[in-house]
Amino acid sequence: MTPHGRQALERCLHSPRILVGGIILILIVIASLGAPIFAPHDPQEQDLINTLLPPMWQAGGDPSYPLGTDGLGRCILSRLLYGGRVALYVAALSSLGAMLLGTVLALLAGYFRGPVDWLISRIVEIWMAFPPVILTLLLLLALGAGVNKVVLAIVLIDWTRFCRVIRSDVMVVARKDYVAAARLVGFSHVRTLLREVLPAVAPLVLTMLSLEAGIAVVVEAIMSFVGLSVEPDVPAWGVMLADARSTMNQAPFGVVVPVLAIFLTILSFNLLGDGLRRALDPRLVTSRGRA
Amino acid sequence: MGRIALELLLRRIILAIPILICVSALIFILLRLVPADPVAMSLPPGSSQADYEAMKQALGLDRSIPEQYWIWISSLLRGDFGTSVFFRRPVIDLVATALPATVELVVFSLIVGTLLGIGGGMLMFAWRGTIGEQVLDLGTTAIMAVPEFLWAILLILFLGVAVPLLPFIGRLDPSVSLPPSVTGFLLLDSIMTGRPDVLGSALTHMVLPVIALSIGLAPLIMRVLRSSLIETIMEDYITQARLRGISERQIILHHALKNAALPTISLIGVQGGFMFGGTVLVEMIFAYPGLGNLMVDAVRNHDLPVVQVVGLVYCVLVLAINAIVDVIYLAANPKLRMA
Repeated sequence: MTPHGRQALERCLHSPRILVGGIILILIVIASLGAPIFAPHDPQEQDLINTLLPPMWQAGGDPSYPLGTDGLGRCILSRLLYGGRVALYVAALSSLGAMLLGTVLALLAGYFRGPVDWLISRIVEIWMAFPPVILTLLLLLALGAGVNKVVLAIVLIDWTRFCRVIRSDVMVVARKDYVAAARLVGFSHVRTLLREVLPAVAPLVLTMLSLEAGIAVVVEAIMSFVGLSVEPDVPAWGVMLADARSTMNQAPFGVVVPVLAIFLTILSFNLLGDGLRRALDPRLVTSRGRA
Repeated sequence: MGRIALELLLRRIILAIPILICVSALIFILLRLVPADPVAMSLPPGSSQADYEAMKQALGLDRSIPEQYWIWISSLLRGDFGTSVFFRRPVIDLVATALPATVELVVFSLIVGTLLGIGGGMLMFAWRGTIGEQVLDLGTTAIMAVPEFLWAILLILFLGVAVPLLPFIGRLDPSVSLPPSVTGFLLLDSIMTGRPDVLGSALTHMVLPVIALSIGLAPLIMRVLRSSLIETIMEDYITQARLRGISERQIILHHALKNAALPTISLIGVQGGFMFGGTVLVEMIFAYPGLGNLMVDAVRNHDLPVVQVVGLVYCVLVLAINAIVDVIYLAANPKLRMA
């Protein structure tokens, strides 16, 4: 590892934001991946005698249902754990996809400029005229509902977030002397982009990836809340919210559980992103050094 | 000043035309991919094959896609927005009742969010370097991790169900009769027709949705305002003002705030566009009869004539709010005013 890289890693490990965000995220990943081990019940199993049970520490709670049951007598804890898998699946795939598409187009636009930049910028402008929720609804209507369609929709919409921000950074980097030097030495355009330009914008890409994962969790929750994401037999946090909302008067706790899960997941991604930005952004590092 | 602002507005409108053409084409093409048969959906039950062909022709669906797009656009320009398949009513009527509700909601939320953000940002600035700033910083990080639709649900849970303080269904109490529609904007209409009962009921119904929408905007404004205030305070002219013996309070209110306003204004512009998106779920959760509710219902019912118009209306709203913010930005920026 280069000394520069080691320094950056050290700064990351000393950032309270990255540590807290990272720990929360690791716990969520373990809980979701281990759902078959930790879950006390099948998430779809209905117990119609024990519907709307309160959590076990409240009067009338049942220790075999630690967080209580929903309106169909399904175990809330088990659904919560399995729902995490959907959220993480969508967060990982869609943020990576949006990053890949957005970064490639940003590199092309910022490096080659001219007509390539013009075309890509116009597409971004058209995309930006849509509130993202509206474009997601339109895409899901066209593609049909389903969790993989949600991933595709997020990639097709949110690449613009990456493209807009990274493009302007690429433009600055591409003007630098060392990039010109690489070309003079005889590097091809592709090699210059990958070896000289990309590493310079990588911290920004990483930061945005983390924030995008949080956005993807929200979009999945919204779409499963309105019934356009997962199949009816798959537990997802948005589905749990929609179910619990109809029984909110009798069992308010059922609403709180998925809200907390969504909140903690987004918080962990935001803390990570914020921490990475502070730890990796050379401008922030130097200005903090001066102050 | 007025002339330049007008020119800018005009230029933005002209620039918006090609974007709107592309946006409408995109919506149109996306909706042709929908796995639903709009002809069958427009027919009454028990229709024959001949009825089917006749309806297909009447809807123009036997033509090519570019021709169909042209038919749609030219009828839009003539003021014919089509008929809802689900409600069997002209789309223009549905939009005309829903649009003012959404605009009222967004305008109020932008004002409330901005005021909260400016207050919080100045507090953060005043407390810079203290434990108070750290607490505010942590608080805003937590607030930003809760999306608007979760705020909506939490607010209903705490202020609607647990402590029933405020109404959370619809736009008016069912017992209050609607005033005659003058502008379509309920608040304006109730004032113009002298109906304080309607005004009161409408305002209390707006409290929770407005909080849900504005609570996410405030922390963003707080942070931008704080950092631009910190940047501005380092400038030479502020030091000079200090040397002239002007009080810290005066400096912040009369000098620093004016400069820090610019980045804040452009942030409000971007976020205002997103807020229209946020209303979709918030309206649905509060059963608030605006565009968002109309859109979600139309998507669920595959009501394509409604979806394509409402989708387009949202884009017009985003472009409009961007143009308005640009003009405000110009008015607030002395450098651009000179040019």
